[in-house]
Amino acid sequence: MKSRLLGVFVLSAVVLLAIAVGASNAGKKASPITLTMWSYDNQDPGLQPVLQQLSKDFERSHPGVKINIVFKAFPDLVGTVPRALASGSGPDVTEGNQGYQTDAQLVKAKLIIPLTKYVKKYRWDRLYAPSTWGMFRWTPDGKSFGKGPVWGIAQTGQNVVAFYNKRKLREVGLNPNRMPRTFAGFDRLLAQLRAKLPDGEPVIEHGNNEGYGFIHLFGGIQGAYVNAQSVRNWIYHVPGSRYDTPGTIRALAKLQQWGKAGYFNDDYNALEYDASATEFAKGKGVFWIGGDWDSTIIKTGLGGANVGVMPVPPGPSGRWTSVGGLSGPWHISAKTKYPDLGAEWLNYVITSQRAKTQMFSQQQIPADRRTKAPSGDPYLAQVTKAFQLVANDDGLLLYTDWASPSMYTTLQNQFQLLLAGRQTPAGMAKAVQDDWEKFDKTLR
Amino acid sequence: MAVDEPTAHDARPDPTGPGARRRRRRRGGGRAPGDPRNIGWLYVLPGLAFYVLFTLAPLLHTVYYSLFDWDGLTGKTWIGLSNYSEALRDEVLRDAFVHSAILIVYYAVFPVIIGLLLTAALTRTVIRGFRFFRTTLFLPQLIAGVVIAQAWTWIYATDGPLNRALELVGLGSLVRPWLGDFTWALPSIGAIGTWVTFGLCMVLFVAGVQKIPTSLYDAARVDGAGPVREFFAVTLPGLRDEILDAFVLTTINALRSFDIVYNTTAGGPGGETLVPSMYMYQNAFLYNRVGYAAAIATVLAITIFVLAGIVLRIGSRGERT
Repeated sequence: MKSRLLGVFVLSAVVLLAIAVGASNAGKKASPITLTMWSYDNQDPGLQPVLQQLSKDFERSHPGVKINIVFKAFPDLVGTVPRALASGSGPDVTEGNQGYQTDAQLVKAKLIIPLTKYVKKYRWDRLYAPSTWGMFRWTPDGKSFGKGPVWGIAQTGQNVVAFYNKRKLREVGLNPNRMPRTFAGFDRLLAQLRAKLPDGEPVIEHGNNEGYGFIHLFGGIQGAYVNAQSVRNWIYHVPGSRYDTPGTIRALAKLQQWGKAGYFNDDYNALEYDASATEFAKGKGVFWIGGDWDSTIIKTGLGGANVGVMPVPPGPSGRWTSVGGLSGPWHISAKTKYPDLGAEWLNYVITSQRAKTQMFSQQQIPADRRTKAPSGDPYLAQVTKAFQLVANDDGLLLYTDWASPSMYTTLQNQFQLLLAGRQTPAGMAKAVQDDWEKFDKTLR
Repeated sequence: MAVDEPTAHDARPDPTGPGARRRRRRRGGGRAPGDPRNIGWLYVLPGLAFYVLFTLAPLLHTVYYSLFDWDGLTGKTWIGLSNYSEALRDEVLRDAFVHSAILIVYYAVFPVIIGLLLTAALTRTVIRGFRFFRTTLFLPQLIAGVVIAQAWTWIYATDGPLNRALELVGLGSLVRPWLGDFTWALPSIGAIGTWVTFGLCMVLFVAGVQKIPTSLYDAARVDGAGPVREFFAVTLPGLRDEILDAFVLTTINALRSFDIVYNTTAGGPGGETLVPSMYMYQNAFLYNRVGYAAAIATVLAITIFVLAGIVLRIGSRGERT
């Protein structure tokens, strides 16, 4: 009995000791230097192979440095990164997400450092238009968005555009080379298509399973009815900004009308965003309105020559707008031992010629506004042109879900209710504004 | 250490079997070192330590957090029971609990009924390959929730096998995107729960039936009972404990369900499939409201305790009469 008792003790002690030793060893991999990066740009084809290749290049030019780049799904990364950074064993460099849900938290909790020093050192200020930098600016208390120091930097441009299947347009007797240049014309085209297409065939193939599908798609409509700056101001919580304006309510009514008229595939709520791009690439629907980061998926399926790319055309103002901005903001952890090395890596994957070639090879548009698209790729030229049309009109609307921590869920639910006819346009506008105001109070 | 721990033992029933001499000695308070009864504590020590460290402590910690306004990272503000009063007024949370109540029907009631029917069928007749069926039907229990959710997302897809099958048998009018449909999303998730759980119930019941004396069945048959009568007179009462266990387990499963919902609908469409655990996740990890999320977790835990208590109480009352 006694010896068995002793055995249990010894065994427990050994196990505990082993755990303790293992834990302390894990924290002590001092040489060579390992930098851990977290990214949710896990699309392949897309940015994942770009980041992997560039990290390998960086290791080669920096002997003794190992880049450990970890890819996670978007919700998995933003759901865990604040606590991972706070724990001290998180990434050295990571993507966050613009807006109050993630970046405001990281700034407020002092988990990331301002990049002011590196903006100066690497002349990053030349990368984007001054208004574009707003999405990386926060006051150090994490309360005011769009002003204060710069805390992040991004790799690619993001633009929600309309992709169209040229062959399908021709099949119903329309000329794909003469697309409408106004929203009213675009709206008429959709109605025309609905009449000409068979019943089961959607005009617009759409995927809203994750809830951001309609947040993106709606931007093209909203931009035709309201001024782009007013949308950005609302996201930045500029006092007096409102969502429940007559323009936005009319835009919501237009979206609801599209839904009622049967423009979308009826399984949009069950279909994932990227999966709907794949369906479109297989020939479903005439339009797919979504992020240009999925343009490779579409090119692979339909072939570059059969696809047209344009932003949803502008309203009476004539200024092109679309939901978009720059890709996820890269941050440097406040707890990393190698902030300078992290900044050097960022500079390499964002500004180097090698990085740009790599991005273009995956049909990604570098965020650096001075970049010229390589000649000889008409499809890529279209995607680039669509981004520059909007960027030059200062029409990037950013993402409305940045406006409060709960805005993503609110918009997700409200759009689903609106499209199902269970919510009125005015009712939705009010619900969204209520969420904004509830959060706005905590900022004052 | 624990061996000499003097308190808390006296109330514990003696696992090594009662003895008059020992009991007298215990009352006297004196105890020889290494007394067998105390060794029991040492045996449970590793398990107990893990339980305290990884279950009890986090539980109490959660209750503690629920008293604060806290974003999970920066300073906490003590707000007493405000989170709880907000939870009581929160319509979203109320809806989430209603959805959970509906899911209990699918996760607990249906599986128990199906499990009983299968048990009746399996015990009444000798089925070739019985082990194979038992294993296959139990298999969903062993698969990770994420995998189950992914598989069912495919099954429910617009051009998935379920809709294809409906079209084949001429029920094309029923074809719909099941998980994206306002009316059908919650029942669709419920059906997944039924599928996952009924195998567990069946295995519990089949095992339970084996301890019912065959003499009871013989007696019933001699008295001229048919299969239905036999089931209600012998099998059902004989399985009372197992049925209660099954109800407790499956009800807890229903209330805790997160992985299936998260990986199929994420609470949509329009919040129709939001359950308390999903809402808790949103508050903790998306809205940066850890305090409120902790309050939701506490309310959920209390609900589970109370429901499990009620089920077990109903059971023990039956035992006495």
